Amino acid sequence: MMNFVMNAAQMLLLVLAAPLLRGVISKLKARIQKRRGASVWRPYADLWKLLHKEDFVPNTASAVFRAAPVIVFAVTVAAAAFLPLLHPAAFLAMDGDIFLFVYLLAIARFSISLGSLDGGSAFGGMGSSREALVATLAEAPFFLVLTALAILAKTASLSGIAAWTIHQDFFDVSTVHILAFVALAIVAVAETGRVPVDNPTTHLELTMIHEAMVLEYSGPSLALIEWSQAIKLHLMAALMIGLFAPWGMSETAGLGAVAVAIGLYLVKLLCLVVGLCVVESSVAKLRMYVVPDFLRVASALALLAVIFTAITKR
Amino acid sequence: MTEHLFLIFLLSLLASAGVACLAGESRLLRKLVPGLLVASLVLGLAIAAGSFLNGKIIQLDFSGHLPFAFAFAVDRLSGFFLLLICVLALPVVLFSLSYAEHYSRAAWRWYWCLLALFILSMVGVVVSSTVFAFMLGWELMTLLSAGLIMVEGDSDDRRRDLLIYLLMMHAGAAAVFAAFLLFVPHAPALTFAEMRAAGSGLPAQLRMIVFLLGFAGFGMKAGIVPLHIWLPKAHPIAPSPVSALMSGVMLKTAVYGFTRLTFDILGNPPAWWGYLVLGIGLVTAVLGILYALAENTLKRLLAYSSVENIGLIYVALGLAIVFQGHGLSGFAALALIAALFHSLNHALFKGLLFLGAGAIHHSAHTLDMEELGGLQRRLPALGISFLVGCAAIAGMPLFNGFASEWLIFMSLLKGSALEAVIHFPALPLLIGVIALVSGLACACYVNVYGITFLGRPRSVAAEQVRSTPRSMDVALLLLAAACLALGIFPGIVLHPIFILAGTLIPAAAWPSDVGVISRAMPFVAAVVALVGILALLLTRRFAAVRSVDTWACGAPGLTARMQYTATSFSKPLRFVFRSVYKPDRKVDIEPPGRTYFPASISYTSVRTTSFERSFYRPAVDLVISAAQQLRRLHTGNIQAYLLYIFLMILTLLLVLRFA
Repeated sequence: MMNFVMNAAQMLLLVLAAPLLRGVISKLKARIQKRRGASVWRPYADLWKLLHKEDFVPNTASAVFRAAPVIVFAVTVAAAAFLPLLHPAAFLAMDGDIFLFVYLLAIARFSISLGSLDGGSAFGGMGSSREALVATLAEAPFFLVLTALAILAKTASLSGIAAWTIHQDFFDVSTVHILAFVALAIVAVAETGRVPVDNPTTHLELTMIHEAMVLEYSGPSLALIEWSQAIKLHLMAALMIGLFAPWGMSETAGLGAVAVAIGLYLVKLLCLVVGLCVVESSVAKLRMYVVPDFLRVASALALLAVIFTAITKR
Repeated sequence: MTEHLFLIFLLSLLASAGVACLAGESRLLRKLVPGLLVASLVLGLAIAAGSFLNGKIIQLDFSGHLPFAFAFAVDRLSGFFLLLICVLALPVVLFSLSYAEHYSRAAWRWYWCLLALFILSMVGVVVSSTVFAFMLGWELMTLLSAGLIMVEGDSDDRRRDLLIYLLMMHAGAAAVFAAFLLFVPHAPALTFAEMRAAGSGLPAQLRMIVFLLGFAGFGMKAGIVPLHIWLPKAHPIAPSPVSALMSGVMLKTAVYGFTRLTFDILGNPPAWWGYLVLGIGLVTAVLGILYALAENTLKRLLAYSSVENIGLIYVALGLAIVFQGHGLSGFAALALIAALFHSLNHALFKGLLFLGAGAIHHSAHTLDMEELGGLQRRLPALGISFLVGCAAIAGMPLFNGFASEWLIFMSLLKGSALEAVIHFPALPLLIGVIALVSGLACACYVNVYGITFLGRPRSVAAEQVRSTPRSMDVALLLLAAACLALGIFPGIVLHPIFILAGTLIPAAAWPSDVGVISRAMPFVAAVVALVGILALLLTRRFAAVRSVDTWACGAPGLTARMQYTATSFSKPLRFVFRSVYKPDRKVDIEPPGRTYFPASISYTSVRTTSFERSFYRPAVDLVISAAQQLRRLHTGNIQAYLLYIFLMILTLLLVLRFA
């Protein structure tokens, strides 16, 4: 019973706290750039406002256009059911969910790319074509990072990897972890469309990717997409925490342990957020055709991580 | 009893071909042909299910009446492939009802007659239990499909493509036949049972030669790189239902032959065979999907994507051999299950997509993606089923393609690194390569569906499409439903496939992963559906929907030409992988020399021929130049020829003296 409550709590935390995470990031970025910035609760207000607006649908669009945001939201939330957060277990944890997790996010990408093509404008195609480039090249390092960790922990489940890592001495696993962490960080930046791969705060750049895809969306559909995007950012952060720094997750069901777990999770999340904000405030966006090189770095690191684990595990 | 039913099944296929030939003017007979075909295929389905699920072995032996061994037997493996044939042939027949309607009387007759015989020949290949029966089916399969290609007209281009197809198929058949004939000293009657008994006792050298010949011969039919070039030539020019059969089933008969030869007849393959198959499979998968991505013609694209999927199947087969060679029978079984399941899945979704392409051609009269667009609004049933096919082939969870790809990943990960360690640290790296392939496939099918079905129509033909006939929609929806059903409940076929794998790989333990995926997918589907419904309630509660013009940056209006095209969609990825494509670009400026103010410019680029240019062209050139050199021997001078004869005799004498 307690396990079930914990699973539900961590999934709800992933889904409901996601807009807050976005708010905190933009607040922090504003502060770094010497601005006051909007309230951290602003994303919730935005969602509420969007949900009450009219839904503008291009007159050339088909049912796919309106179905896409719903599917994106559904699969992103479903992916949240695989992540360990407060304790090293999850709702749908299963052997081999590392692959299922990545593929569920791929469904989201597949449907939003189609939705954007349905608008019939140049921007939609532009966005989805570029998304295809980034996502395709990010998939291999993503899989390789997960493979390296799976070999290390001798289990192919995200929760299993977290459960194994908790009992390790940090210095025993650090070599592979550092390589894999950097690779996953690059992949996460590419997957969630942050600087230097994509700029989430603009609708005006000719090199935009995600914003170009959702340009035609408005009202409740846009709310779902924005929310899913926030959840995805939170998912990637939680994935990095769960895989590389699960220490502090509660292995017992006591209330105190859970409180500690939540507190530590927030601290770790804050560290990632600060890192992201510093990078986003100090680095310029990459040119479109430099992005593949950036992702190649991730692939190379992930390859090394797998080779190291495969050799040392013999 | 079942033997009789099986005989009736074969004869009724033959009878439907006969009726089609005789049909002529009679309306009744013309109606009878598809009916007879459907009835016999349903019967075949029942027989196949009996053998595949219950392991009932059916045997028919005609050896007594013929000078050579000629017999059929349906065991679990044959039953599985027979099931695969019947499952796809049924919707294909349904689809053909309206597809073949516009044919002339003669073409109609040829089409149905050859179609029935083509199905019969494929059935013959998978159920035969002697070499002669097998080779008879194998050759007929090639010839009949070539005949079906000719039904849709005749031109020099078609003949050239067809010639390449026939040449390569016969080279392949020769290799297969040679592999079988090498058994003669050990199994003189050339029945599979005898060969199986002799197989493991053959000398290692001979086993290797048989394997390599079989690999090349079946690989030719399957379309593995570098033997794939016939595939994108022959598949697009066939009538769409026939393309569906060729791609969905005919390629799988090669997988059947390879599996039968390697796992059943030869048995206990050494690990290095597996590494060879694995390596070639990977190259096939990567090249196949890269070429598919660069194509704009729907059926050629689908043909290249078949190359990719065959690559994945061979990767799984290679893994199975590697693991068996290292004594890891549990993982070998898992990889073999993945290969067989992917064969079934590919038959379903590629059949669906080829039939869908046929329906598009029927409605819009073009298969050029740059001319299409906006079909989803106009042809919703076709659109939805095509979307299911695209999602399935791109490996999206909840569709059947994902389940088999997941099994490939799991067997690779677990067998190579997780639970059993093979001393070959590069093996887990292949996960990255397969991930790249699946990422590319995802991009490719976003392109296919998005450009063809969404947005604005790019031509008048696409705007004024004919609606699709009922029977086409039904066939497509049936296949789409099958893709979805096997995606959510993969356990239905995975369990019997495991038992089948157990008959090919002795002492295989039950792989837990099969159970995991069978149990997990319904839950995942339930969660996705639940959250989807919640999201729908959340948004639809408030939403008022207004239909507006697409935003055009304030400009007066968008035209279809402002949309992204298939070429522009794939451009970024083609740019990254440009070293693979090496496109042939040609810019014609009229009048020449006036670069800045020309009267007209035309630009063409061919992107999918780099392989032929860099691999086959040099080989052909080498042969031709060697022949040129040899021609110098032909002086036309009688004295020179006498000298050759004298020298030849001298050499022979010397050889015989000292050898």
